[in-house]
Amino acid sequence: MTIKRVLVVDDEIHIVHVVAIKLRNNGYEVLTAENGEQAYEIASVEKPDIIVTDCQMPVMDGLELVKKLRSDEELKNIPVIMLTARSFDIDEDIKQNLNISECLSKPFSPKELLRNIEDVLFSTATNI
Amino acid sequence: MRIQRKIFVVITLSAALMLIIQGLASINAGFGERFAGQMQQLGPVVSACYFVIAAGIVWFAWSWFRTLVGIENLTELVKNGSSPSINYKDNCLVGLNFAINNFLQNNRQEINEANELYRDLKLDVQLSERKKLNTEAIIYSIRDAVVVVDSSDRVAMANDAAGKLFSFDCKNIELRPITELVDVDQKEFIDFLVSARKNKAKATRRELNFASDDGVRTFDCIVSCIHDRKGKVCGAVAVLHDVTREKEIAQMKNDFVSHVSHELKTPLASILAYSEMLNDGEANDEQTKQEFYSVIQTQAKRLNRLIEDILNISRIESGLVKVEKEAVSLTITIQEQLQMIRGYAEEKNIKVISPASIVFDQVYVDKDMISQVVVNLLSNAVKYTRSGGKITIATQVNDADQTVRVSVTDTGVGIPADEVDHVFDKFYRVGANKKQAKGTGLGLNLVKQIVEKVHGGKVFVQSEKDVGSTFGFELPLATREMVESV
Repeated sequence: MTIKRVLVVDDEIHIVHVVAIKLRNNGYEVLTAENGEQAYEIASVEKPDIIVTDCQMPVMDGLELVKKLRSDEELKNIPVIMLTARSFDIDEDIKQNLNISECLSKPFSPKELLRNIEDVLFSTATNI
Repeated sequence: MRIQRKIFVVITLSAALMLIIQGLASINAGFGERFAGQMQQLGPVVSACYFVIAAGIVWFAWSWFRTLVGIENLTELVKNGSSPSINYKDNCLVGLNFAINNFLQNNRQEINEANELYRDLKLDVQLSERKKLNTEAIIYSIRDAVVVVDSSDRVAMANDAAGKLFSFDCKNIELRPITELVDVDQKEFIDFLVSARKNKAKATRRELNFASDDGVRTFDCIVSCIHDRKGKVCGAVAVLHDVTREKEIAQMKNDFVSHVSHELKTPLASILAYSEMLNDGEANDEQTKQEFYSVIQTQAKRLNRLIEDILNISRIESGLVKVEKEAVSLTITIQEQLQMIRGYAEEKNIKVISPASIVFDQVYVDKDMISQVVVNLLSNAVKYTRSGGKITIATQVNDADQTVRVSVTDTGVGIPADEVDHVFDKFYRVGANKKQAKGTGLGLNLVKQIVEKVHGGKVFVQSEKDVGSTFGFELPLATREMVESV
């Protein structure tokens, strides 16, 4: 089994750090970015297996990043898990349209995030 | 009248008898002395007849004279309406007089009643007129726009605010159809008013937008039907209340809740994630554990700071803040606060030029609060300045005004001209710069509240988009006595 690569995007360095440790401890390879723009550049080059991104970020926010990914032929199928600290959940329609696999609200549990990543990667694998 | 009639008969009979006797006497003259003896015997009867006739004529004349006087008096009475003091006891006019008097009295009573009624009605009319004027004055002076239409949708009344809103002369509406007075652009209002009237709804409400010189304004429009005494709808009244400001405030509150919850949740997310990792034994070595503890600690402090900011603004606004003033050197305060952000500035490769010390730059302030002002201005400057930029801090004493002026100038993203005036507003964030850095929109408001409300100073800002901004404040210099008393 190949090692799965996860791109973690958040402008909060501590969040990126803690998610990276959790994932590395569980056998994942972790790439990090601090905003949507940077994440898109890394994703274009590295083609990660899954992206975990914060929603509200400077320069380019999470939703814009997903829109950009979905309109890119090479990146449109990368599953995305969104983390959000907004007071309201992301609209179900937007979630469907942008094919966002899961939305987790902050504060979140790293354990739960890991479970979600595994679920998404596993279901993607069985679909193929 | 009966007596008069009898007397008249007696006089007539007497006259007739006398004429017969006179006739017989003349015939007698023709037929000789045949009846001369009998005629002479009738002499006393003729005398009596003459006497009766004469007496009757005198009485009759007197009676008619009195009747004439009575009629004249009655005429006067009818003419003047006053009752004459004439005794008609045995005159035929007594009845007439009585009848006329009665009639006049009744009339007078009726006239009096009518007069009273007229006076009451006049008062009622005056009262109604005054009530109408009062009502109109009230309606005219209402700040909300009020439009009243009749059952044919003609404008029966509209106040100044309505005239202003729909651009018509409210004093000159003359029952013109509403479609003539109100612009086609505001058709939604006409449709709503007309349909509400037709539906006979007691009160219906809708939010309507109107384009005005200062942008789109939102009105809360309530239309209520007017019912006549029989309960039939005879028109409708529309009241339009401008809720633009309320909506803006509601939006600001929503934005605030959204920002603040994001800001509160971010450190909380770190605290919970790191503590869960520690609990689950994900920190493999002592160094990692220490690192996790330290993150939890700094994030808890950050959370506390944010809560303090919110509380401070709230306390200052409500006047409950505890202020402990002392003589403080602004230059020294700036140097102290600079230490806190120097690392952040170096990370972004931003050059910071700090002020040279001034001989006397003491202000009488709450040191913690002014430190907060300085750190907020400095951290904003770093936040909104791109890597490789420059920040210049200057202090200047104005001897004439006895004030100290502190300014923080950056070479950052700047603020668009139409937004500069709002940067000190609570929760306000410059739209174009939201992506540049995170914030709650509280920092500059706190600066303004502390400088102006607590210390009687003044904040200022100058900015040019893509060139940079200068933020700063002025505070009154402390007097020598204030400094020495400390």
